[in-house]
Amino acid sequence: MNMFAHRARQSIRIALKEWRLLLRNPHGLAVLFLMPAIFVLITSVTMKNTLVAPLSMPLTGWVLEDNSQAAKKWLNDWQQRHLGALYPSRQALQQALKDRKIEAGVLVLKGWLTSDGTPDVKQIEIWLDHRIQPAAAGKLRAELAFSTLRAHMNIVAARGGAFTSILLNSVQTSDLLADSNTPQIRYLYEIESGRKINAVQQTVPAWLIFGMFFVVIPIAGVLIQERRDGTLTRLGSFGVSPVALLGGKFAAFLVMNWIQLGFMLAVGYWIVPLLGGEALSLDFSIGWFIGIVLATSTAAISLALAIAAWTQNFDHAAALGSGLNVVLAAIAGVMVPRMLMPANLQLISEWSPMGWALDGMQAVFLGVPEASFMLPRIGLLLAFAVLCGGMSWWRLR
Amino acid sequence: MNTHACLLTAEHLSFVYPDQTDPALQDVSLALERGQALGLLGPNGSGKSTLIDLLMGLKKPQAGKITWTRFALSASSAAILPLSVALVPQEYALYPELTCAENLYFFAGMLAISRQEITRRVEEAIQRCMLEEFLNKRANQCSGGVRRKLNLAIALLQKPDVLMLDETTVGIDLQSKLFILDQIKQLVNAGCAVLFATHHMDEVSALCSNILLLEHGKVVASGALDTLLIHPDKGQVFKDLDALFMHYTQKP
Repeated sequence: MNMFAHRARQSIRIALKEWRLLLRNPHGLAVLFLMPAIFVLITSVTMKNTLVAPLSMPLTGWVLEDNSQAAKKWLNDWQQRHLGALYPSRQALQQALKDRKIEAGVLVLKGWLTSDGTPDVKQIEIWLDHRIQPAAAGKLRAELAFSTLRAHMNIVAARGGAFTSILLNSVQTSDLLADSNTPQIRYLYEIESGRKINAVQQTVPAWLIFGMFFVVIPIAGVLIQERRDGTLTRLGSFGVSPVALLGGKFAAFLVMNWIQLGFMLAVGYWIVPLLGGEALSLDFSIGWFIGIVLATSTAAISLALAIAAWTQNFDHAAALGSGLNVVLAAIAGVMVPRMLMPANLQLISEWSPMGWALDGMQAVFLGVPEASFMLPRIGLLLAFAVLCGGMSWWRLR
Repeated sequence: MNTHACLLTAEHLSFVYPDQTDPALQDVSLALERGQALGLLGPNGSGKSTLIDLLMGLKKPQAGKITWTRFALSASSAAILPLSVALVPQEYALYPELTCAENLYFFAGMLAISRQEITRRVEEAIQRCMLEEFLNKRANQCSGGVRRKLNLAIALLQKPDVLMLDETTVGIDLQSKLFILDQIKQLVNAGCAVLFATHHMDEVSALCSNILLLEHGKVVASGALDTLLIHPDKGQVFKDLDALFMHYTQKP
């Protein structure tokens, strides 16, 4: 029998055996399919708020420690636009926050109206419920600052006479960040592709990558058992080379990664909309999509094989594999979107395997992928795979 | 082409594990011939498994030489074929989540043989090790005795000229043990060379004509069992193999 054909047949049989073992391992399947799907569902709905949902003004409660007429008038103006209950004391305000009757407290300190008769924005404290979105808190702060400025101008204008007051009254009712009256934000991806950026378009590729790298759990489970029980030794005595062994495992999990991919696309397309999120758009470049998924899958399986080959037992492999995946995912911006990272961390995240994969996937899912952007990332992922594959072969040879 | 009866010779083998200073094996020599069962004896940690690893090529000796005959007159047919060496490790070297049949077909599928031959060898191994009623049972749901039989059956798929067994009967009931020993005896009678590592003297006396006794990685006694049973100093016959073992391993 031709040696190459024999080795190929060995690899195919090893791949089928891996599949059989995987199908009998419900925990491994849960890690590979359910975990990333749950992450997609949660983060798609969560990120939807951050990215596209209209930002509403938090419901406020007020305590006026400044008893000036100007402060009362200022509060009255605010209540006409945004409501807001008045509380008699700090304690009452704190209790209202705890009881979730309000989302934010505004404490107008004594001295808000300065000795020269103008308001001082530094004499305002904002108390927030723990659950309030940072963007909503930012909106409240900006509106309070703008409103204080307007009160300041009204006071100054009143001193300036009737004409100045009439001029100011024309902008009196508008808010700084009114929903219908703000500049539009467009991300670069959106400008390039013309597609509207949405949460599910970002979370599906991110968590897909995370799930793909979690093949370390089933791969390590079997490979370490094979090593511990002498099955690898026995396979060696049956003429199975490390290349045929690794090739079989690689083929099995390559197919598995594609099934993961199909599952995650289905979750994004059908399940996320059922929970109130946007549907995943599948309008992207298929060629680059296949390229980046193959490169990511190759890197993920090779890393898993290297971890399985170099750890002593399954506990070590599971701890190292899971821990490393979580760290890599955190660095790459899978867990915390890159937009929330400081500039230095963003730079680091672009130099990690999951970062290369995420860049490539997001270019496919969100923007218009170009060869000059995609090829270096695919190349880096494949180089990483060769390094990890070489380490596995060295250990098992 | 060498089809000589001597299938394996090992000369002056020494091996030290990388993280240890004391040698696991020191100046060990042996020869294994067709139809011979060599009992590899020694207390725990004496170097039996290390010696098997060296002979299987899984570890490289730091000193000494191992020579395998490349071709042999097949133990199962009259043809001259590449030497087939099978290992039955101490552990259950199989897939616990697969059924007995799946294990057998998987391992047979690793051999460079046709589909028909795969089926034939699997059926033969099943019959020989009496696994018929366990075929659809997962290995991890079988008793220790059945798993030991499956462990042996997998090795038999290779139609071995040389069979190395490392404490193959540990932890099983008497019936299963006697069954396995009987199968090994039949293989020896058919011309298979067997290296049988154990610390059960009764198994050695039932199966082996020659023994190699290791203590702290050194050979303390080797040769034909009949000869060794005569006390080297007193000229008397040892009461049994246990007495011989205790004499050479210097434990009261």
